[in-house]
Amino acid sequence: MPARILIVEDSPLVTDAFSILFRESGYDVDVAGTIAEALEVAKTRRADLILLDVSLPDGDGLELLEQLRDQKSLPKATLAMTGHGDSRTRQKCLDAGCAEVFLKPVPISELLRRIEHHLA
Amino acid sequence: MSMSHRVNDAALTKRLTALEGKAREAQKTIDDLKSRDALKTQFLSNISHDLRTPLAAIITHAEILRDGMLGELNQKQRDSVTGIVNGGQQLLDMIDEILTYVRSASDQATLVRTEFSMSELVDQVKLLNQSLAAKKHLTIERLNGDDLPLVSADRDKIKHVLANLIGNAIKFTNNGGRVWISFSRRGRNEEELLVEIGDTGRGIAREHYDLVFREFAQVDASPSRPHHGTGLGLAIARRFVELHDGRIWVESELGRGSRFFFTLPLAAPRP
Repeated sequence: MPARILIVEDSPLVTDAFSILFRESGYDVDVAGTIAEALEVAKTRRADLILLDVSLPDGDGLELLEQLRDQKSLPKATLAMTGHGDSRTRQKCLDAGCAEVFLKPVPISELLRRIEHHLA
Repeated sequence: MSMSHRVNDAALTKRLTALEGKAREAQKTIDDLKSRDALKTQFLSNISHDLRTPLAAIITHAEILRDGMLGELNQKQRDSVTGIVNGGQQLLDMIDEILTYVRSASDQATLVRTEFSMSELVDQVKLLNQSLAAKKHLTIERLNGDDLPLVSADRDKIKHVLANLIGNAIKFTNNGGRVWISFSRRGRNEEELLVEIGDTGRGIAREHYDLVFREFAQVDASPSRPHHGTGLGLAIARRFVELHDGRIWVESELGRGSRFFFTLPLAAPRP
């Protein structure tokens, strides 16, 4: 069965692009635009990997990880995406349990390589 | 108290009241300007951030096409889509530069100091620029600095300064030229580090030494100029260096190359 990726990002423009990218690469894809939506999706389908935008309309994306941890439904890896390249934001993501932090936009070849690595 | 004293007192009180009124008005104007400036900063910051999101989507879609994920492209199609990716990337770099400038100009510009090795940081920035330099057959060399003490500075900001100076050196140096980075220690107790970024490029005329560090200023500002940019890079570099109480300047000769210098305090030696 193909691995399942949950994209948590509030811009449909960006989620559309990533959905095409991941489906064409052979993954199953779920999309959520808010923390609440992501939690709703997680109730029925467990993601193997989450691609997480850290700034979401209903809060800090990293809060999602805390809640998933409480529900014992954390994925194998969470890759964070931020709009700010500063090392403080980066460290905050790593401290919250993200496996990697990318600055948006992430070059697709690098992103696919890292996803493959984390799902191996 | 004599009559004349009382008159003087009354006049004085009147003037004082008038002055207080003026001072209040001036304060109100200052507060008003400050809040407008904060609003402008916030607006620029928001709009730059909001421009990034659709641009990120454009670049990602174009990369998907370019890499043949939706079917193989012929060479002409691939070249055209590559143009979209490259143009998008260039636009994104410019938006980021505006965002960095807006942040550096606002109260958000605070230093997060750590102690780090400048030579290592230079090597990192050098590596990031290697492919660009290779395209122009330029050599980038770090001439010394293996035995330098650590500096106490904001690593992200100094990395930005180095990336800007080294990037400029590459941009304005013709094929086959040379770019170098060297260090020396200054001050009575050698408490200051002097960083030099030199190139064999086209150089800057003396009357433009100050201009290049000014916001939005470009020596060649014509629409047909060969090098485009926001004109903010060196203004940001200057702000970041000055936030560290350092100085930044250029020495150059037209046609012979430029040498940019900046100073940083070295970390106090550990007891």
